[in-house]
Amino acid sequence: MDNNSNRRTFLGVCLGGLGAIAAAAVSWPLFRYLAPHSGGDAAGKVVIPEKDVPEGEAKFFEFAGSSAVLVRKRGGDLVAFSAVCTHLGCIVQWEKDKQDFLCPCHGGHYSADGAVTAGPPPKPLKRLTFAVAGGNITVG
Amino acid sequence: MSLIKKAVDWIDVRIGTREIVEKELTGYLLPRNINGWYSMGSVLLFAFALQVVTGMLLLIYYVPDADKAFKSVTAIMNDVPFGWLIRMCHAVGSNMMVLALLFHMLSVLFMGSYKKPRELNWVTGFILFTMVQGISLTGYLLPWSQLSFWATTVATNSASAIPVAGPYLVEFLRGSPQVGPPTLGRFFALHVAVIPAGIAALIGAHVFLLKRTGVSAPPFGLPETMNQWQGDSYSYEKHPGGIPFFPHFALEDMRSIAIYMAIFLAVVFYDPYLFFPKDAFIPANPFVTPAHIKPEWYFLANYQTLKIFPNELIGLSLQGAAMTFLALLPFVDCGRERHPLKRPLFMACSVGGLLLWIGLSIWGHLS
Repeated sequence: MDNNSNRRTFLGVCLGGLGAIAAAAVSWPLFRYLAPHSGGDAAGKVVIPEKDVPEGEAKFFEFAGSSAVLVRKRGGDLVAFSAVCTHLGCIVQWEKDKQDFLCPCHGGHYSADGAVTAGPPPKPLKRLTFAVAGGNITVG
Repeated sequence: MSLIKKAVDWIDVRIGTREIVEKELTGYLLPRNINGWYSMGSVLLFAFALQVVTGMLLLIYYVPDADKAFKSVTAIMNDVPFGWLIRMCHAVGSNMMVLALLFHMLSVLFMGSYKKPRELNWVTGFILFTMVQGISLTGYLLPWSQLSFWATTVATNSASAIPVAGPYLVEFLRGSPQVGPPTLGRFFALHVAVIPAGIAALIGAHVFLLKRTGVSAPPFGLPETMNQWQGDSYSYEKHPGGIPFFPHFALEDMRSIAIYMAIFLAVVFYDPYLFFPKDAFIPANPFVTPAHIKPEWYFLANYQTLKIFPNELIGLSLQGAAMTFLALLPFVDCGRERHPLKRPLFMACSVGGLLLWIGLSIWGHLS
């Protein structure tokens, strides 16, 4: 009886082990197949002609798989931000008359410098690096 | 362990799971002389489940748009991690499922299991067979390759041989005068929704009929102790003294599934392009028909029949007659004898028919 019981336990453990290996062999490709693809977009740079961003206006563009914005403030200073609201991820809009950003989802407001001025956003808009050369603005 | 037992007890007192297990698994007795061929149904269920799962996974990346379909399939093969594995499993699986289905039908045929009182099992099984052919044909178009495009052009064009309604039927099937983006939309809907739902429903009906009638006993091997159906009223065919489905025949099922998987994975890993001619790797071009366009191996006999008969209507009618005869076989072959060696006429016709089908397929492949 004991021998039988030991043999059953042993076979059960072996079978369980093989099952676990088989499950892992199936799960890993499945996980990799379903996992979001990383890289690619992140390293990209975007070049925008300076003339496309007149004073007091904003230029929205696709950057690193999401939306970004270049603003030339009154006075001529350029700034670049991620256009993703830090509250719940909606895309902010540029209000030219008020010279600020409005998030249409929950009424968050940001100044032209990206700082939160009203509403629920917990953090300022994320700043992006850029360089100006030869009449072009290179973001990223 | 005790936690699992507690969980099982908790469910059992509510819905009586132990009673179901006793009735449907451990107490479900099968004929003593049952053989491995009886597990082909389980193999097919497993193969269908695998097609459903891999098909759902492919839906994540596949784009059913004529401009993007080929590119999306190429991306699945080359860019998506393990995308090649999922697609190969789906493509090879479809061929293997047809093969397993043919073996299942042949075993039912040669063991006479289609005979009364199981006529309805045969008919539902036969409809399943045609639906599997349908799902294979519609899936063939989805990669939008040269092979897909022209194989579908030829297949849908066959319907034009039907008098009067033929040309309209072809256009209805395609959604346009020629195979094009509307055809892709239709075939996609049929492939991923309509036919799978139909197959699932028919599998349910097939298994229901099997459970209500009881498993047939093979006409050879150990002597059987079944209570034979007399034809006057309903009676479930019991097999007293038979072997329990669980664990005995469940292990047999597992063994057959393991053999199926071994062959399936051998093809997937060692010869994945076995079912892919080179035209499967060229995007569809509606202005250039490739030379030697051929259908899948299981349609080669149909293809060759259409080539042999210059009149398409005669070719199609013959195929239709053969299919109708097969579908109605239990009503044509009504004798009680089920042993194949004691049915010489049946053996001559079925072996002859099988050889003819194989011969036509080989001829179609080589022609």
